[in-house]
Amino acid sequence: MGALLMSIIRVEGATKEYYLGKTVVPALRGVDLQVEKGEFLAIAGPSGSGKTTLLNLIGCIEKPSAGKVSIDGVDTAHLTSDELADLRATKIGFIFQNFNLLPVLTALENVEYPLSIRKIPAREKRRKARQLLEAVGLSRFLHHKPLELSGGQRQRVAIARAMVADPAMILADEPTANLDHTTGQEILNLMKQMNAERKTTFLFSTHDPKVMAIAQRVVPLSDGIVADPQR
Amino acid sequence: MTFTLALRNVFRHKTRSIITLSTVAFGCVALIFVGGFFEDTFYKMREGYIRSYAGHLQVFKQGFLEKGAAKPFDYLIDNPGEIITLIQGIEAVQYVTRRIEFAGLISTGENSTSCIGQGIEPKNERSVRQSDVEKQFQSRGDLSLLVGNVIETGDPLKEDEGFAVLLGRGLASSLGAQVGDGLILVSHTIGGSINAVDVSLKGTFYTSTKDFDDHFLRLPLAGAQKLLHTDSVQSLVILLKKTEDTARVKAELRHLFQEKGLALELRDWEEINDFYTKTRALFGRFFLILKLVVAIIAILGIFNTMNMAVLERTAEIGTLMALGTKQKGVAALFLMEGGILGALGGGIGIIAGIGITRLIASIGIPMPPPPGATMRWVSEPMIVPWTILFAFALSMAASLLSSFYPAYKASRLEIAQALRYAG
Ligand SMILES: Nc1ncnc2c1ncn2[C@@H]1O[C@H](COP(=O)(O)OP(=O)(O)OP(=O)(O)O)[C@@H](O)[C@H]1O
Ligand SMILES: [Mg+2]
Repeated sequence: MGALLMSIIRVEGATKEYYLGKTVVPALRGVDLQVEKGEFLAIAGPSGSGKTTLLNLIGCIEKPSAGKVSIDGVDTAHLTSDELADLRATKIGFIFQNFNLLPVLTALENVEYPLSIRKIPAREKRRKARQLLEAVGLSRFLHHKPLELSGGQRQRVAIARAMVADPAMILADEPTANLDHTTGQEILNLMKQMNAERKTTFLFSTHDPKVMAIAQRVVPLSDGIVADPQR
Repeated sequence: MTFTLALRNVFRHKTRSIITLSTVAFGCVALIFVGGFFEDTFYKMREGYIRSYAGHLQVFKQGFLEKGAAKPFDYLIDNPGEIITLIQGIEAVQYVTRRIEFAGLISTGENSTSCIGQGIEPKNERSVRQSDVEKQFQSRGDLSLLVGNVIETGDPLKEDEGFAVLLGRGLASSLGAQVGDGLILVSHTIGGSINAVDVSLKGTFYTSTKDFDDHFLRLPLAGAQKLLHTDSVQSLVILLKKTEDTARVKAELRHLFQEKGLALELRDWEEINDFYTKTRALFGRFFLILKLVVAIIAILGIFNTMNMAVLERTAEIGTLMALGTKQKGVAALFLMEGGILGALGGGIGIIAGIGITRLIASIGIPMPPPPGATMRWVSEPMIVPWTILFAFALSMAASLLSSFYPAYKASRLEIAQALRYAG
């Protein structure tokens, strides 16, 4: 990557410790990571290695105990919770292992939600949400509630929701862990396709070697540190 | 979108929401019904009192109210005609009637008892026969409390029968007198000598006030004036078309009297007997307690619902925040859900409250006599707009208040923790 290009994500010496009563649980123990625009990157590691924690730091929903996280050149350390919310709303899309759709909203309304946070006019909102749902192949399910959709379909809605506000990056924590193999592959292919077509940066975590295979770059995480950053 | 989300969340758990809404609605129904019941009670008590005895306003000679008790005959109105014309000129006035009161002794020849005599103009002082009251009580066409004096036995007074009397039923029974009996009525004249006249007992009466029935005797004004050796009257009693006009007419009259240089003073029905005001204050307290109980039940009900909602939806709240919803956005969502519960519960409560109150009013609740009274009556709870407004405001306030803490708690969740909550 060219030195002139500003990394979209820059994590420097990030640590995270949790406290369980008096015991300290080190979840991350000094992680350095740079991600460039348009990358399709996997964070791989066994259970408990700190994947979720790292994605949370990058997603600005948790702050590191020490170290620095910059998103698109902005150091997030001193942002208020409202500023962080704005940053997430404009720059970051989330895909979750459990899909995390709002059960009372239809597929279309779920995809519209990030746009309504940004106060986009109703027509524009509807148009973009439809467009995204079409792009993930769900044009026939616009008015279905999450409970009326299969797991794979739900994750497609989640992808559409993550993409709808044109974020700079999408963070996906084990997006295929609750799906069967074939469906998981389809979801990954869809993400890959979105990455290729729209140049959106994708960061996803997994402990499945088959999933790692599709990634452009794999960052192995083990026991809270990047095992082999040179790889 | 927050509103859509809030509205759908409210109906997510139908049974739970219906129970919460019922709690709030039931509270509103209780307030509307009880408020309407009290209002009807006050109304009938007040009107009964005004129409049977007090009138809306009483006019006396200046000084009577302060010193009249000791020397009543020093404060008589000598030229009532002019004043009556003046009063009748006011649009809100239904009629004015003259009265004179005196302390006397009534005797059958065997038994004697002290009494308060009241010379009245029978044509102006409404009275109704007991048999008609019974009919009215059954059909509830007009209410017994509203009729004024009820003639229990015998006949009403007539203008030209100067020495016929009606006795209050308590007085009649303590005297042991029967309709048709000849009685002797004794009193001081205004000159201070003693006078006695033969009177015939025309009938017995009762009013809404037991105290009155135990001591009063009524006779036509002309007879009373003859007994007392005077052409003057003691008071002018004014009945208005509407009780609400009392204060306004009182002020207007006071002004008129001053303008014409008339040395008169005025007293309104509330000043004559503060029983109504006191009862109203007492019932006001009862009602306040009911309001508090309803508020607490509503607050607890909604608090429980909202608190459970926050717990159950922890992961969902985390998701909303991860997607970029601000803390105040999350708080607004939960406050709105509480607000919707309050508005719906209040709305349903108002509709049900009005319906139930109307229904019960149309059937009527037979009631025992109110304190200090002797008449049975039928309660027909009223629809009181102010109470309806209050019930709605209370359910809104209670629901917002009780959503406040859950909303705050939701907005302060740590996003990462909340997301992990999903498992
Ligand atoms: N809230 C918390 N309190 C205490 N310890 C925590 C907390 N969250 C995470 N941890 C610990 O931090 C470590 C890293 O957790 P993390 O969830 O990031 O791992 P992971 O790689 O995502 O695991 P998995 O594959 O099971 O999701 C683990 O040891 C975990 O027990
Ligand atoms: Mg994890």
